[in-house]
Amino acid sequence: MLSRSLCERVLGVAASTGADYAELFAEKTFDRSVNMIDSKVHAVNDAVIAGVGIRVFKGLRSVAASTVDTSEEGLLSCAKRAADALGEGKAEIEIVLRERRFGDIHPIKIVPGSAPVGEKIALLKAGYFAARDYDPCIRQVTGTLLDIDHNILVANSEGVFAEDRQIRTRLNITAVAEKDGETQSGGCRPGARKGLELFTEEIDPADVGREAARQAVVMAGAGYCPAGVMPVVIDNGFGGVIFHEACGHSLEASSVAYGTSQFCGKLGQQIANEKVTAIDDGTIPNAWGSINIDDEGTPSHRNVLIEKGILKSYMVDKFGGRRMGMAPTGNARRQSYSYVTTSRMTNTFIDAGEDENEDIIASVEYGLYAKEMGGGSVNPATGGFNFAVNEGYIIRNGKICEPVRGASLVGTGSEILMKIDMVGKKLECGQGMCGSSSGSIPTNVGQPMIRVSSITVGGR
Amino acid sequence: MRFEEFKEAVTAAAKQRGLTDYELYYSSSESTEVEAFMHEINSFSSSVEGGACFRCIVDGKMGYASTEDLSAEEAEGIVLRAAENAAVLETAEQEFLSEGGKTYQKVNTEPCPLPETEELVSRALKGQDLLYAADELVTDGSATSTVTMKENLAICNSRGLDLSHSVTGAGYIAVAVVKKGEEMNDSFELKVGPFDKLDQEALVNKAVHDAISKLGAEVAPTGNYPVIFEGKTMASLLMTFSGSFSAENARKGLSRLQGKEGEKIASENVTILDDPFYPDNLLQMPFDAEGTPTYTKAVVDKGELKTLLYNLKTAAALGKESTGNASKRSYDAPVEIRPFTLAIQAGDLTEEELLAKAGNGVYIDSLQGMHAGANPISGDFSLQSAGYLIEDGKKTRAVKAFTVAGNFFDVLKNITALSDEVKLGGFGASITSFASPAVLVEGLSIAGK
Repeated sequence: MLSRSLCERVLGVAASTGADYAELFAEKTFDRSVNMIDSKVHAVNDAVIAGVGIRVFKGLRSVAASTVDTSEEGLLSCAKRAADALGEGKAEIEIVLRERRFGDIHPIKIVPGSAPVGEKIALLKAGYFAARDYDPCIRQVTGTLLDIDHNILVANSEGVFAEDRQIRTRLNITAVAEKDGETQSGGCRPGARKGLELFTEEIDPADVGREAARQAVVMAGAGYCPAGVMPVVIDNGFGGVIFHEACGHSLEASSVAYGTSQFCGKLGQQIANEKVTAIDDGTIPNAWGSINIDDEGTPSHRNVLIEKGILKSYMVDKFGGRRMGMAPTGNARRQSYSYVTTSRMTNTFIDAGEDENEDIIASVEYGLYAKEMGGGSVNPATGGFNFAVNEGYIIRNGKICEPVRGASLVGTGSEILMKIDMVGKKLECGQGMCGSSSGSIPTNVGQPMIRVSSITVGGR
Repeated sequence: MRFEEFKEAVTAAAKQRGLTDYELYYSSSESTEVEAFMHEINSFSSSVEGGACFRCIVDGKMGYASTEDLSAEEAEGIVLRAAENAAVLETAEQEFLSEGGKTYQKVNTEPCPLPETEELVSRALKGQDLLYAADELVTDGSATSTVTMKENLAICNSRGLDLSHSVTGAGYIAVAVVKKGEEMNDSFELKVGPFDKLDQEALVNKAVHDAISKLGAEVAPTGNYPVIFEGKTMASLLMTFSGSFSAENARKGLSRLQGKEGEKIASENVTILDDPFYPDNLLQMPFDAEGTPTYTKAVVDKGELKTLLYNLKTAAALGKESTGNASKRSYDAPVEIRPFTLAIQAGDLTEEELLAKAGNGVYIDSLQGMHAGANPISGDFSLQSAGYLIEDGKKTRAVKAFTVAGNFFDVLKNITALSDEVKLGGFGASITSFASPAVLVEGLSIAGK
């Protein structure tokens, strides 16, 4: 993307006022999507995102500058903006870059950008019409097949000069069902760090459409979830969003380094039930949230965050690590060059436990079974989190009964972690886009089926 | 190359390909943000962004392509890709480009002066002094930020349209983190506008006061109560469901307001205007994302849905005129429909009178998880909330960690009173903003302890 010698010159200018660390992140991304509504292809979007972000640190100060002008002049002027903002001083570090090859553990078979758009439309239609034809009460379906070819180059004053090409593909089908004047929607959105082979060889797009429609039909016929405090069983896959919101964000350096996390200073202490082991692993081959290197050039790691309830590690980027006195963990991420990198999750999940799913359901006299979860959010300072249950059922006398809609779960991370008292054996992950200060990035969430002994269920 | 050069190169490429109906949309922005923590500047960031979107009508279909790379190669590239993308579309609807030569209303705000870096730094640091001085419970993690931004927008097309508009803004953010024993809480205040009109101390004190007032908050009791949504909170609820006012969503069966124009959808005391020239909003727009002149309109008048919001294509398909509400989420996004500043108009009660009217209930001044706990199509919501109990007509104990559940369209019908002070609250995609007074709603479901 950029030559090593140009990067050295740019970093030299960036560090010319006394920075003790300088970094350049260059990006060229091809972002494409095909969209359907009303049973027709109605939009094909196609964008090229290209630019450079430069960062310099001096002690506990950081400066970031970014530019869309990637000419040599544009880069040098961006570097000068960063250097000037850091203050007055003279160069204290020497920039010598060495090319590094980290290897790519995420092989791609069919690069989506090189496939004719007709092939993508055929896959999208297979998913779309499977949803449309699922049931007469399906009123509308929207579908998107998107592929992103995200090429990054990271060069920094520690000598790193490395590139990574991140190709991701995702199919998103949303179905709207109507029964007795009530409309409800259902969705299914699998994705991976893979090419089109994800939908030609591994996942049948029609299954994606049918799953979206099934959820919509079930929920359109459901009554409202009753409100109250009760035990909740959360199924595997995207259910892992509970850990992502209730705990994951609060273990990121972006809140821990500033003292605004309920888990500050708790390393080595018990913060979760002993049944809980939680891991952030950016090295899973071809997983949606996987990276070879992070956006500061640190190789991706498998980090055990919580082991049998004991807090073992945070997720740390270089700048946050300075305040914390900790090494980076390969979690520095940004949506694009124009966002400022911070610590983020990759593929984050509660590891498999030893309980049988049947036993977990049977253990609940009266409660909620959350089969499909929606998104959520958290305030790391208070630990207060919320998330939505997209498909829920009442459990009565150990049996799954009628579906209920409109449920949400609220609580505090530190409390909920202690109340996860049963953990199933079958770990699965679901795909999400996680939003935070450094933008929207692909992350996996995951878990086996779990039981939370009691939590506030919002409903009516 | 610069935009003017790129524009010429794109026009030449379009003509060379024999295209006759096309548009180039360009937006660029420059922004600077300074953030202070623990009495020191923690970070400084400055960004220069921009990108162009080319769209063209080929055989009656509109193809799009976008790029941030303003090179000669890409000038040809986006023209080629947009034409190719048009070829695979299946929609049979008529597509439109705006004609040039229309007149546009003038914005009524002065351009916001952009402070120099030194002022950004000194105000961010002063905020730190103010924060720590405000109360001894204020703790590390409390942040103050100053932001400036300048945005430029240009639209030109093959029909003689050639428009441009710039907006500037400055903003001040205070995040107060307070700690009492093991319990922490935080609160966030944002003010957008010229710095010479900014009362920094009042802003910081409000953030600190709000953070402290929720310490020791109890979980609200489960039940059905009258609820007051504070103005900014109601504005964010309105934002969450604002897609329902899009005629395009209605036409696609994605809005409960489909076919309701001319019908009563809200209580008599509810009037909602969409105002592209909203006085308190710096981001005023004389034209929409298709170049149509914008104007102020009543969307809901005394409870009656007067009009949905339209762009050119949706209006033509439904035999209406565009309301000037075409909107792009970002330069590379397709044209959709959004309001500018959608504002529920003030009522006539003071907040004290509103509380007295509520009697016993819950006052909600924080809603979280809108993207998850709300269904923008059905109107159902179940949202994490915080606020105060209302007992005997007064705000009393702070409450948190509960949910409020209901349906937005029922809320509109069940608003029994509104306060006399409108607050600008939710800031949505593109330059969309929302405003509302505090509203009293009969009977919503609260889930707590």
